[in-house]
Amino acid sequence: MASQKNNRAERREWYKLDLSAIVYPTLQRKDFSSVYRLSVILKEEIQPEILQQAVDTALKRFPTYKAAIRKGLFWRYLEPNVRPGPFVQPDIKNPCMPMPFKANNRYLIRIYYHHCRIALEAHHSLGDGTGGMCVLQTITAVYLRLLGHKISCGGFVLDVDETPDPEELEDAYIRYANAQVRPPRPGEKTYRVRGTKEPFYTLNIIDGILSVKEIAKVASSYDATITEYLNACLLYALMQKQQHDWHKKLRPVKIAMPVNLRRFFPSKTLRNFITMVYPSIDPRLGEYTFEEIITQVHFYMRYYINEKFLRGDITTNAATQQNPVIRVIPLFIKDFVVRLFYTKVQDKNSSAGLTNMGALKVPEDMKPFIERFDIYMGQPFSSRTNCAIISFEDILTINFASSIKESDVERYFFKKLVQDGIHVKIESNREMED
Amino acid sequence: MSYCVNCGVELESSLVSCPLCNTPVINPNELPYVKKASPYPEEMGQVEVVKRKDWAILLSVVCGATALTCGLLNFLVFNQNMWSLLVIGICIIIWVAAFPAIVYTKLPIYVSLLADGASIAVYLYMITYVTHSDRWFFSLALPIVVIILCIAEIITLLGRKVSHTFLPSAVYLFGGVAILCVSIELLIDRFTGNKPALSWSAIVLTVCVIIEIALITILSRRRFRDAVRRRLHF
Repeated sequence: MASQKNNRAERREWYKLDLSAIVYPTLQRKDFSSVYRLSVILKEEIQPEILQQAVDTALKRFPTYKAAIRKGLFWRYLEPNVRPGPFVQPDIKNPCMPMPFKANNRYLIRIYYHHCRIALEAHHSLGDGTGGMCVLQTITAVYLRLLGHKISCGGFVLDVDETPDPEELEDAYIRYANAQVRPPRPGEKTYRVRGTKEPFYTLNIIDGILSVKEIAKVASSYDATITEYLNACLLYALMQKQQHDWHKKLRPVKIAMPVNLRRFFPSKTLRNFITMVYPSIDPRLGEYTFEEIITQVHFYMRYYINEKFLRGDITTNAATQQNPVIRVIPLFIKDFVVRLFYTKVQDKNSSAGLTNMGALKVPEDMKPFIERFDIYMGQPFSSRTNCAIISFEDILTINFASSIKESDVERYFFKKLVQDGIHVKIESNREMED
Repeated sequence: MSYCVNCGVELESSLVSCPLCNTPVINPNELPYVKKASPYPEEMGQVEVVKRKDWAILLSVVCGATALTCGLLNFLVFNQNMWSLLVIGICIIIWVAAFPAIVYTKLPIYVSLLADGASIAVYLYMITYVTHSDRWFFSLALPIVVIILCIAEIITLLGRKVSHTFLPSAVYLFGGVAILCVSIELLIDRFTGNKPALSWSAIVLTVCVIIEIALITILSRRRFRDAVRRRLHF
């Protein structure tokens, strides 16, 4: 009787979408979903049956990832998904495919394997890269344990026998949206990369594999961090692309960069807890040298990425969601307005996306089994390129994902690294035309 | 280990050309060339098609039950005339219209339009059982349905094969309206036994022709076209 009651209570459990997650389902199209991919390359070939066992065991620890998205009258919400799955499947050439909410037994995650690689694809409405990394590392740890290795918990690897901490499931934005003023959102048309759209289902990937020591040495020679240096390289590549292309007038070049708010506001949440900053240069003011770009990025980061500015930013974003008038507007009207705002303003506000997950930590006893990690920001909403960076031990991977044929931005970017004396190894799923 | 001679990057051993600049990889020491395995799989993924089976069952059951119960009510209780045919016809139209959206989503739009037209024609024919005369159906209703269907098919074809942007769509639409109005007036004249002549439809035709000329002029001049698109964008 008691267990029946517990089951009913479990069934009643549901989660409101967090502040960022509200936007992602709105942008869902037949040919676009906000899906990101995290993958780990192990040193041994993956055994799919054991991986499936590991997924089944580990996912119970992550109720917001073993969930389905549903529509209410005013907002969408997540509810636990008790359908069979998610099932591991062989990897595909075109990752981050659109993820219809009603397909795949309503799961919003996919798990793939290919030789030594385990890849997790998750819809952004479930959580951000940090949350996804916890899921991936926990699955990997359980998988290795099932193979007979002793792997301890800690960092991104959570204890699968523990019950989830309520703080892991909370919308952390609301806790910190308490600034007295709401700084305005930046809104300016920026340079857009023009390119030939690839057919539906194509995602072009170019991975650059580098040494962390080498790049840290070069970055410090410019008095910058690795993130600042790579940001500057991408701005430099986009600036060169704009100069070489035909255009009526020059536009500012801006990068949309997510910042992990957990660094500034203590939270254990596994859901979204990021905000965007936009390092930029304005070629209309004159020609920039690389050193000038790096200085600009360096001071921009110092000025904007701090607890005060970020709190103001969270408050601005939360104000819209908490407005009582907006809350009672039916979902379909909200969807229409948000989509229009995103397409006409937000998407035009940046020339490319760049995210840096930084140096990944794994438990000491797990290190010997891991070769490297990869991260892909997924299919861009419009024709542009997204760049994601992650490092593990001495390997830093820069993963570009785009749905256009041209790879000029990537070429300018990696050429700059090579010119600075960094050794870059390239992997790609592209099939170049003769 | 190969390097791109143009970009200076090291290339993964399975790559036959540089993904950044398309420069081919030629390593004279590795001839004859043996293709290495790519770190990426060869198989392309396909997005799973969402099954709307539940909705299809629900719609079919609701339409079927409504038609059946109304038919029985008409046959057993209120049996002065065949009013249930009007309800049954509406159920058929709703089911046929919803068929491409929830039952078979791959149905070509031309076929679904044809099915919609056919279901409306069947419904109108059912009404003849209530009105006790079918002259209006054969000489007026059926030809109008056929003309609307032809215009809808042609506009769809033009939208798909020629252009579906705002201005060309307006050209098709006004052309369709003009043809429809003229046809309706001629059919009414024939039905009432009057001599075929244009009166009110001539006004509609004139207005449509003026709009068509204006639209075609705008379309043929790039400067006009851009100005209209700029001012009307949404």
